[in-house]
Amino acid sequence: MKAEYINPFISAAFHVLKELLDMEPSKGSLDARREMCTSQQCNVIVGVTGKIEGQVIYGMSLITADRIASLMLGQPVKTFDHLAASAIGEMGNMITGNAGGRLADLGYACQITPPSIVRGTNVKISTLCIPSIVVPIELPLGMIEIAVSLQER
Amino acid sequence: MATRVLVTDDALFMRTMLKNILLHNGYEVVGEAANGRESVELYQALRPDVVTMDITMPEMDGITAVKEIRKQDPRAKIIMCTAMGQKSMVMEAVAAGATDFIVKPFKPEKVLEAIQKLAS
Repeated sequence: MKAEYINPFISAAFHVLKELLDMEPSKGSLDARREMCTSQQCNVIVGVTGKIEGQVIYGMSLITADRIASLMLGQPVKTFDHLAASAIGEMGNMITGNAGGRLADLGYACQITPPSIVRGTNVKISTLCIPSIVVPIELPLGMIEIAVSLQER
Repeated sequence: MATRVLVTDDALFMRTMLKNILLHNGYEVVGEAANGRESVELYQALRPDVVTMDITMPEMDGITAVKEIRKQDPRAKIIMCTAMGQKSMVMEAVAAGATDFIVKPFKPEKVLEAIQKLAS
């Protein structure tokens, strides 16, 4: 996977999380993974199609997901219900959508699919065999791990 | 009489947020659609003053729904509310008949400003 695909997602995550949660994110060190699979308890999966294709996984602990959903909803999340899951999914949708604009500026026009939520670690996501570049985004309320697996069509 | 709004988004979270913003500011939310097809059907049944429309949705996307609604009512007022902010997407939406374009995440004031502009 080309390293240039990851930067739009980092910039998009910083922009969206700052706007959405009113918090200053910071970036951890990049890592590579051979397969596309979940490594966190709560994962938002967004598909990408167009000049580049693949998937992006936004992984976080359940506690972090609860805290983010609570902030987005403006009220504490008591159980991780449909509304809380929808909030977390929408966060992934917004970051991917914003990154899509940045990728288009680089010449990789693409569309995104509606987000899905996958609970649990080590779940294999796709039949596409694209290695991932993983970047942890640290927030005061926990860490979101962004795994980007994209290839040119 | 309060401006009647139809909210279209596949995310329950986004529909809830938009509904709360609108209700707290004196607007009437006459319907909620979870995809483009539902929005087209509800538009026909409810004839709202303004529609908010997401783009990436299952069953029927927002651009197709805008085209369908404009076929029913060429004067329909539709505001796109989407995470896809790239220039090509804005141009496609406007060409389909969208009146305004808001990129997520947005502040409540941005939505109210857009609806107020169309309602007046």
